[in-house]
Amino acid sequence: MIGIVLFKTALAVYLASAVVYGISLWGRKVQTARIATWLMLAALVIHTLSFASRWLIAGVSPVVGIHDALSFFAWVMATAYLAMQLRTKTRVLGVFVSPVIFLIMVVASVKLGGDVAASAALQGSLVMFHVTFSVTGEALFAVASCAGLMYLAQDNMLKKKKEGSLIRLFPSLRDLDRINHLCLAWGFTLLTFGILAGSGWARIVWGSHWQWDTKQIWTLLAWGSYGFLLYQRLVIGWQGRKAALWSLVVFGALIILLILEKVLFPSVHKFV
Amino acid sequence: MQLVLIGMNHKSAPVDIRERLQLSCGEAESLLPELLRQGGIREALYLSTCNRVEVVARVTDSAESIAALKSFIFRQGNLGVEELDRCLYLYRDLEAVRHLFRVTASLDSMIMGEPQILGQMKDAYRAAVERRTTGILLNRLSHHAFRVAKRVRTETGIAGNAVSVSYAAVELAKKIFGDFKKRSVLLIGAGEMSELAARHLIRQGVATIYIANRTFSRAEDMAAQFQGTAVAFEKFPELLPEVDIVIASTGAPGYIMDAPMVKAAFGRRRNRPLFLIDIAVPRDIDPAAGEIDNVYLYNIDHLQDVVDTNKETRRNEALKAEEIIAEEIAAFESWFNTLAVVPTIVALRDKMEGIRSGELERAASWLRGLSEEDRSRVEILAASIINKVLHDPMTGLKEESKDKDALPFVAAIRRLFNL
Repeated sequence: MIGIVLFKTALAVYLASAVVYGISLWGRKVQTARIATWLMLAALVIHTLSFASRWLIAGVSPVVGIHDALSFFAWVMATAYLAMQLRTKTRVLGVFVSPVIFLIMVVASVKLGGDVAASAALQGSLVMFHVTFSVTGEALFAVASCAGLMYLAQDNMLKKKKEGSLIRLFPSLRDLDRINHLCLAWGFTLLTFGILAGSGWARIVWGSHWQWDTKQIWTLLAWGSYGFLLYQRLVIGWQGRKAALWSLVVFGALIILLILEKVLFPSVHKFV
Repeated sequence: MQLVLIGMNHKSAPVDIRERLQLSCGEAESLLPELLRQGGIREALYLSTCNRVEVVARVTDSAESIAALKSFIFRQGNLGVEELDRCLYLYRDLEAVRHLFRVTASLDSMIMGEPQILGQMKDAYRAAVERRTTGILLNRLSHHAFRVAKRVRTETGIAGNAVSVSYAAVELAKKIFGDFKKRSVLLIGAGEMSELAARHLIRQGVATIYIANRTFSRAEDMAAQFQGTAVAFEKFPELLPEVDIVIASTGAPGYIMDAPMVKAAFGRRRNRPLFLIDIAVPRDIDPAAGEIDNVYLYNIDHLQDVVDTNKETRRNEALKAEEIIAEEIAAFESWFNTLAVVPTIVALRDKMEGIRSGELERAASWLRGLSEEDRSRVEILAASIINKVLHDPMTGLKEESKDKDALPFVAAIRRLFNL
């Protein structure tokens, strides 16, 4: 119960943070964004407590359930974003990140209060690793996309010589590019581990590493696209506009595919 | 007791007169003590910058002291009476407070919001404190002025945005590169404007500077000055894959850099952003180069537009600053007014104290007949009577002084008690 109360509080504080970020954009004030950042930190702390309480009560990591997996997704985004704040001057990036976090939290709250317990097939530490790593990786891709979106906006304003106050408010291209890069690299690494753990567990439960179900194909597609993006960045030297644009395209395409897959094909992965 | 401010600034006096006054006034060291030797001047502060000369003083008798101050400045600056009246401004009391607050907060500066004036004001104050020419009024006033300046700076955007073309370029570069560590700059053409921009960039921490100029010796001169590297003019395209910022300001009649040249550089740049600043007229860089991905091209008009918008913003922010100053003047006013009643309070207390000690003196002979204990009781009784008598008029004075109209009240008390 306490977990649900904390979750709802976190949801409300995330909303407050998103609203204050919006105000900072409206009033063109970095000072206001600073308040929003503190609000997000507060929300994150409450969110963490809610998570911990669910874990303690259930005795197993709750991320295997759909509600908690989504909630965990939002948690990773907030953590990654706030961690980036320590190293870069990208306060206003929260304008893009915070509404996404809030929306995911809303979706997560739909099945609020369900039991942590998962079906028998979904028990074991490999499942936990699989879900934790995959969700973390995908959440980092979401942060990368937010940074990419902001990069494109700032790039566009600088190119078109738009009136100055928004240019001044937005972070520098270099910081945005760096966040995009870092999130991509870490996201890809974690997703790789997530897939490995998942296939190891599939071998145990179903007897084979790979079933070619739609969710697995989707994951493979995501892994391949981000691998390609990372390769372009590291080897070919993609940077800036192109890298930002493609990270957005890939993320958008994957979201659309995910929705299509959910509507059209039921699968063994029905919890995600 | 009055506060007086006499001065001239870039608006009130032409440069040759300001110059004359500045030169002859020289350093505060010699000037300040001399100021205090003028009739009726109790405290003094002297500020002199390239755009203004200001003397702030606490005087006892305004008419006499102002005349003394004026004639002092007149002698110092070797100015004619007519010139003096035309160029000097004179503010009293709260008007002087307002002017000083505005000056310190850089609202009265030639470039509104420029940060130097606060430092110059602090130096002037320090010089006065060292020569012990400030007292209760100027100390409080100066500290209040510093506080106001800080408030204006943090609460308004008056000093926020670049108002010079070269600094606007630096601010844009910051939005591309974040910081300037490990960044390199190429100056093509060693003109005055590019020199200014280079100076800004160095102050921001740019690592490497290359200078290409048609007259190679000029490039070498500038390279020596900035600890940069001079390169032959024809060789500058070879640096394009390497540098991050290019500032072009040659007198060439046509484009010296076109889109294919920039594009060619990008293979080896691995898509690192390139900031091209074209401050030459006619332009040096083909606008088509600005279309390339990760290239940001600004010419002199674009930068001027940025500067114009920023100036407009500063003007709007100045309105907010004036409001802050009005607020702070109100805060200062209540204290300033109590200052006017302080001499009366002191005189009143002195008079009462005189009566008390005088009466005790007269009664000394019979007091001696009392025991030690009784004698001290009598003394305490006398003291407590005058304290009780004084209590109401004193509180009344302090209370009244918060309004501007304390003067009749003060006059009445002075007359009643014959002070």
